[in-house]
Amino acid sequence: MRWRRYLQTPGPIGEYSKLSLWQRAEPLDLVYIGYGLLVVAVVGVSYLLGALGWLPDDPQRINVRLINAAPFTPGHLLGTDFLGRDLQARLILGIQAYFLPGLLAITISVAGGSILGVLAGYRGGWFDTIVTYFDNLIDSFPRLVLILLVVAAFKPDIYYVMVVVGITGMPVIANLIAGKIAFLREKNFIEAAHALGLSAHTVILKHILWFNCRALLVIQATLGMAEAILVETSLSYLGFGVQEPTPSWGNMVQAGANYFLQGNFWPSTAPALAILATILGFQLLGDGLNNLLEGKRGK
Amino acid sequence: MHAPLLAIDKLRTYFYARAKRAFIRSVDGVSLSVARGETLGIVGESGSGKSVAALSAAGLVSAGPGVIGGRIDLHSNGVQRNLLDGLENYARVTEQDGRVMAVEKDERGWRRHSDRLMAGVRGKEIAMIFQNPRSALNPYATIGSQLVETIRLHTRLKGGAEAKERALHWLERVRIDSPGLRFDNFPFGMSGGMCQRVMIAMALCAEPALLIADEPTTGLDATIQSRIVELLAQLKTETGITTILISHDISVIQRLSDRVSIMYGGTVVETGRSSEVLAPEAKLRHPYTAALLASTPSAEAIRNKSYLQAIEGEVLDTINVPPGCRFYGRCNRVTDAIRDQCAGHEPPLGEVAPGHQVRCWLYPAAHESTA
Amino acid sequence: MKLAAIKPVSRVLLRELGISASLLLGVSVVVFAILYLAPGDPLNVLLGGQLPRSELALGMREALGVPRTWYGQYATWLGKVLQGNFGNSIRTGLPVLPELARVGVNTLYLIFGSLLLTLLIAVPIAVHAAAHGSTPGNTVATIVAYILSAVPVFWFGYIVVYVFINQLKMFPLISGTATKQAHAWLYFLVPIFVLGVASGTLAEMIRHLREELSRVLADDYIRTARAKGAAVWRHAFKEGFLIPVTEIMSAKMPFLLGGAVIVEQVFNWPGMGRMAWQAAQDRDFPVIMGIALVAAAFVRLGNLLQRVVFTAVNPRASKEQGP
Repeated sequence: MRWRRYLQTPGPIGEYSKLSLWQRAEPLDLVYIGYGLLVVAVVGVSYLLGALGWLPDDPQRINVRLINAAPFTPGHLLGTDFLGRDLQARLILGIQAYFLPGLLAITISVAGGSILGVLAGYRGGWFDTIVTYFDNLIDSFPRLVLILLVVAAFKPDIYYVMVVVGITGMPVIANLIAGKIAFLREKNFIEAAHALGLSAHTVILKHILWFNCRALLVIQATLGMAEAILVETSLSYLGFGVQEPTPSWGNMVQAGANYFLQGNFWPSTAPALAILATILGFQLLGDGLNNLLEGKRGK
Repeated sequence: MHAPLLAIDKLRTYFYARAKRAFIRSVDGVSLSVARGETLGIVGESGSGKSVAALSAAGLVSAGPGVIGGRIDLHSNGVQRNLLDGLENYARVTEQDGRVMAVEKDERGWRRHSDRLMAGVRGKEIAMIFQNPRSALNPYATIGSQLVETIRLHTRLKGGAEAKERALHWLERVRIDSPGLRFDNFPFGMSGGMCQRVMIAMALCAEPALLIADEPTTGLDATIQSRIVELLAQLKTETGITTILISHDISVIQRLSDRVSIMYGGTVVETGRSSEVLAPEAKLRHPYTAALLASTPSAEAIRNKSYLQAIEGEVLDTINVPPGCRFYGRCNRVTDAIRDQCAGHEPPLGEVAPGHQVRCWLYPAAHESTA
Repeated sequence: MKLAAIKPVSRVLLRELGISASLLLGVSVVVFAILYLAPGDPLNVLLGGQLPRSELALGMREALGVPRTWYGQYATWLGKVLQGNFGNSIRTGLPVLPELARVGVNTLYLIFGSLLLTLLIAVPIAVHAAAHGSTPGNTVATIVAYILSAVPVFWFGYIVVYVFINQLKMFPLISGTATKQAHAWLYFLVPIFVLGVASGTLAEMIRHLREELSRVLADDYIRTARAKGAAVWRHAFKEGFLIPVTEIMSAKMPFLLGGAVIVEQVFNWPGMGRMAWQAAQDRDFPVIMGIALVAAAFVRLGNLLQRVVFTAVNPRASKEQGP
């Protein structure tokens, strides 16, 4: 028995709709966005800390007297791994493995996807067919298999891999942009812009992409970062990314695997939870923003 | 005096605009009744609540909060039942100064309860046809199978062959050519008029007590419209079925209905025999009705080369309902004597002639009826 | 409810088949391009037998029948591939395709089993949410699904292994190769469970199914079904359930294949995924190339099947009715 309450605003009607988007949003979406922004902030700051070398402890320092320490052990906020190395430092350093490569991937996706989307939507006709073919072609490959092929053919370089990730992320964005253009076309938006004498250049860059698609692109970039992190951690788990002793969240889980099965959970679990929390953060941020900015307006 | 087949009493169906945190008062205290064998027309502009009232009667309102008050008595097959029986257990309305300020509703519970109440009624006692017949039919099933489904559900014919025979019979009755071929057709290949005929067949093949037709001709081509209207008139004579016909097209209402109710802003503003209400020379009528008629082209108006008169103002926003008469802002017959009343108090329905009621301060009722 | 007319359906299917074929051609071009551009000249290995680098004189390559031009090489290579000759594994020397077929079956079990499991979890939640709106129950379920979708599947695998195998001793700890024992199939369930729950596709499945079903339930023809007292589910099934489910299944197939690579690693499962990993480690081009081709072909097959279902169910696809 769930009773739903509907309340009439006591004041004059119409004032409520003057509230901003944020105030009218579904509370759950705000939670998602809040959490996501928190994660992004933590990751960003940690990346800088790692890049500058401002770590709480030496990530490589082996301390055989303090192996598998639990969190909150004095001196080691997040505990230590099976060699006594400080986990907090290693986790922070592990961000280096995916941060810049991830940015590369989403840049490629967004840029490439936008170009394809605009070609398909704006020019239409043959371009549409070609872009659709290209999209379907890319979608035919399981991403990990394609990456393994590239890794086998070239070298296990994370930047090569991220190029592949970027390319495989293009179809989704291209589709969304082409869809947006179709929507704008239906509203005669594009026709009107042309009638005003705006050049194709301006229409596309300023009006279509910046005014109408920027929310979409930000959301896709966020989701794309989640994918990139997933790929990097999976790959380094499989042994193709950063190699020991340099930490990456994936290889940390892999290295701690045996100890896990023996009952020492923490060395594998700490990086796994970091992966979980981070990917979740980016995904929720993307979905929350999507519901807020692109979803159907509340009834 | 026979009890009416369907009597709607003080029905209230509200929706909710989340963006504005306010109720949309779609049906705000509507009372209607239709006698056995009679066709009641409901006229109004879009937003007047006429479709919502019909959907409420059929229990098809799913958005929240939905039906929040009233009674709907159905008198058929010797059984009388209130289709909103038990609603008070599921909806609690808080009012302040006559305005609804809060509604608490157990929607799932009410829907389950309502479905139970309507179980033997929908399709069997009350059948409904809708606007946009092409989208109202299942695009994934042949029209034959959709007809047979209704037949097997609601008549005594359970066997496939008998049901198909009955379905073909009805396809003929609604004047569909080559019913045998059409039986296996899908809706997408059929014209709007044909789809509407199928809908009519589907509604009537169960031999219901009441047919509710919600804008059956809207959206069809003009020539097809008149054909459907003729079909409905013929079926009415043949079967004597009781009908509630909803439309904004006055000519359709004039052709088919015995009595008519005019709705505006979620309330009934006039009701009576169509010959009286819609007659061009009638004197006692609601200003809205007068304005509607004046804005509709008629043969006489064309002959006289008179101008069509548009109704000033915009359709009432049922969120921001003003105090006083709902039509006050657009009325062109307000006199100084009644101006304050029109602006401040909503008039009740009053009888201006036997069987003819109008909700207007121009006709202060000798006795006020509560309907 | 009948299927739409058969003849036009087969015409649409031929078109779909043609599209699939052209996409597979594109796939072959992509794979070839990667091999062609790769340092170490893997094509040489594939086309001319297991010979090392092209330093050994262009002449020798030509003598072995390796064409000089890139399109010549493509043609030769494609010819071999279409004949089922994917070359021999550098590591084991065995021909690639038969080996793939042998282990591919294990991967198929894994994929389909986990797909089924994910659906079994996603469908009830999606249906409930579509029919009843957001209740606390399905909101919590959705959040849990989000979390499960972000869980690293390899770590989840360790947890499951620990709980079910080490601690509860529920499943025998045998690998897939020793499959003669009666209870061997039970062991299949563990990796299927892992991939099914943590493949990362759960949240999106729920979302897609819920959206589509909600959309259909709000459609006019469902209102008509309700108005005539008919069973709504029967009417909503095709467009609201069957089509979205097959759509999401075929769309998520690539992701599951990727997930299989990882899960096979965790469980030492002798499937195509583990073979791919091994091949990437060893730079075993023929094997990884073969896997890429087979995987892409599999994805396209899934897509084709989905189009078949869509066409069969949808009367508008046939377009051969009278006016």
